[in-house]
Amino acid sequence: MIETLHLQKKFGDVIALKDVTFNAENGSITGLLGPNGAGKSTTLRSIYGLIQLNSGIAKVDGFNTAEKPLEARQRLGVLPDKRGLYPRLTAWENIQYFGRLHGINGNDLEEKIENLVNLLDMKDFVHRKTKGFSTGQQLKVNLARALVHDPPNILLDEPTNGLDVMSTRTLRDFIRRLSEEGKCVILSTHIMQEVSALCDHIVIISQGQVMADGKPETLLAQSGKSNLEDAFIQIIGSGEGLMR
Amino acid sequence: MKSRIAVIYKKEVIDNVRDRRALSASVMSILIGPVMALLIIYILGNITADKMDKPLDLPVSGAEYAPSLIQFLTQHDVNIKPVPEDINDSIRNGVSEVVLIIPQTYPESFTDGEPAAVTLVIDSSRTSATTSIRRAQSLLMGYSRQIGNLRLMARGVNPQVTAAITLETLDLATPQSKALLFLISLPMFLVLSLFIGGMAVVIDATAGERERGSLEPLLINPAKRWEIVLGKLLAAVSFTLVSILLSIAAFAAIFNYVPIDQILNIPVSVNWMTFVVIFLNILPLIFFVTILQMLIVAFARSYKEAQTTLAWLPIIPLLPSVALGYISIQSGPSMMLIPTISQQLLILQYLRGETIPVTNPLIAAGFTLLISLGLLIMTIRIYNREKLLSSN
Repeated sequence: MIETLHLQKKFGDVIALKDVTFNAENGSITGLLGPNGAGKSTTLRSIYGLIQLNSGIAKVDGFNTAEKPLEARQRLGVLPDKRGLYPRLTAWENIQYFGRLHGINGNDLEEKIENLVNLLDMKDFVHRKTKGFSTGQQLKVNLARALVHDPPNILLDEPTNGLDVMSTRTLRDFIRRLSEEGKCVILSTHIMQEVSALCDHIVIISQGQVMADGKPETLLAQSGKSNLEDAFIQIIGSGEGLMR
Repeated sequence: MKSRIAVIYKKEVIDNVRDRRALSASVMSILIGPVMALLIIYILGNITADKMDKPLDLPVSGAEYAPSLIQFLTQHDVNIKPVPEDINDSIRNGVSEVVLIIPQTYPESFTDGEPAAVTLVIDSSRTSATTSIRRAQSLLMGYSRQIGNLRLMARGVNPQVTAAITLETLDLATPQSKALLFLISLPMFLVLSLFIGGMAVVIDATAGERERGSLEPLLINPAKRWEIVLGKLLAAVSFTLVSILLSIAAFAAIFNYVPIDQILNIPVSVNWMTFVVIFLNILPLIFFVTILQMLIVAFARSYKEAQTTLAWLPIIPLLPSVALGYISIQSGPSMMLIPTISQQLLILQYLRGETIPVTNPLIAAGFTLLISLGLLIMTIRIYNREKLLSSN
């Protein structure tokens, strides 16, 4: 469960977040939709505590991310915007490193990694050094690395960037599965397809503000349009920066 | 908490040991020092030592005009040689080191008791010829003095009256200080390997991490920033430690297997204790240099910028080190307050066999560690800033 309340963030004179408030429930996939530069990544970063807010509160399972950043991060699995791997370490070692940083060791860790390797179908390359991995392989290692500590809350920043159709389908199935397990999933995207295919809760952000928040059906009813695309354009005022 | 530092430490060590190219490059750079030192020994040895023992080859023109002079020279271990065709050319090209010309007028002036002129052709800019030139000059002056004394005695005058004073020189240089040029290279190369040893690791673990885009995922882990800084720092310190040990071992091997005292004609009293003492003096410096590098790299915007900055860094402590060889600096307590300078001075003093107040190494170590702690706190502060991620 992730709650944000009146998030506000300035970088110098630039206001990145004006007023962002929304809740993301367990067992649900929340889509953070908005054009590039709308404040999606900044919102996610304030949830995982890498930026300090000017005002507002972000909570992960009740832990204020500004006051209890370590507790909040323990309950978070994050696929950030920047997601480099260590090229001289194998995929397994990359995942193991993050598992250990979460305090998991020994057989417990081995089992958890083995489980993710099966789930994400990584057997063929898990013991290879990650240098030269394809985008799809890198994403799998990244996901495994983010989820190795079995976090109840998952943040995915533009997860399908650069993926081919097959990998995108696999990833979507994987995200649905996480939600079915009762986890709280937030994914940010500027691709409408993604939202309509996956999300049961949509938060539309534009210029650092939440423009709309609700189930897809509610948004359609609010805007009086028959499809989501028209509804978004109606809500944001233009379709600029968005992709089908 | 303790284990998280260990996790980061272990990962950085494994990761960087696998970076074969960076690793072999640093090993090569570190071994350059001892190799250079070996070269210095042999060059110095060639210039000074062996020439004194060998007979002096001296081409003489007009040897037939001065048979007694030639006899005197031959008695003093000189090989009289025929002159080359073009004397000036031969000297300029270094074929001959010194040539003696005895003119036709020599016998006449000699029998008349007038100063008989002879000419030595030399090139004073050729340092390798210095020994031969000095020898030729002192032999000729010796002959002149001997004949002069004989002439005075023939006229019933005690030759001693011509000597108003007798000059005796008391040389206070300890034997080792004569080899200063060689000895100065040791602390210099040790400091250099301090800067090289952990450099690749420092850059890879900080600027490299950011450029790869792996810094943000790392920081999302429930690790405190100081744990991350310490883990990376200790990894870099380990690499520096290994390179210093390598460097000291190489120097120790040189002192052990190369007969420096015979080559340079100076007694060298260096044993394994000397190297232990040198290592103990360097130890606090390992932390200082590595922390300094981490702090500087934290400001660098890219991998490349980090590399360029760190490559120039050793110049700062090495410049005074070069100067130490030529200027005598009073190594008072105030010099002990400056990290890298104090240690270079101390090592030089150990090698020269000087007695050092016990407090000096302690002050040097204490201050170096104190400054290192300050730099470490600054580094952790910088890692706590959110700007760390968005430096580009």
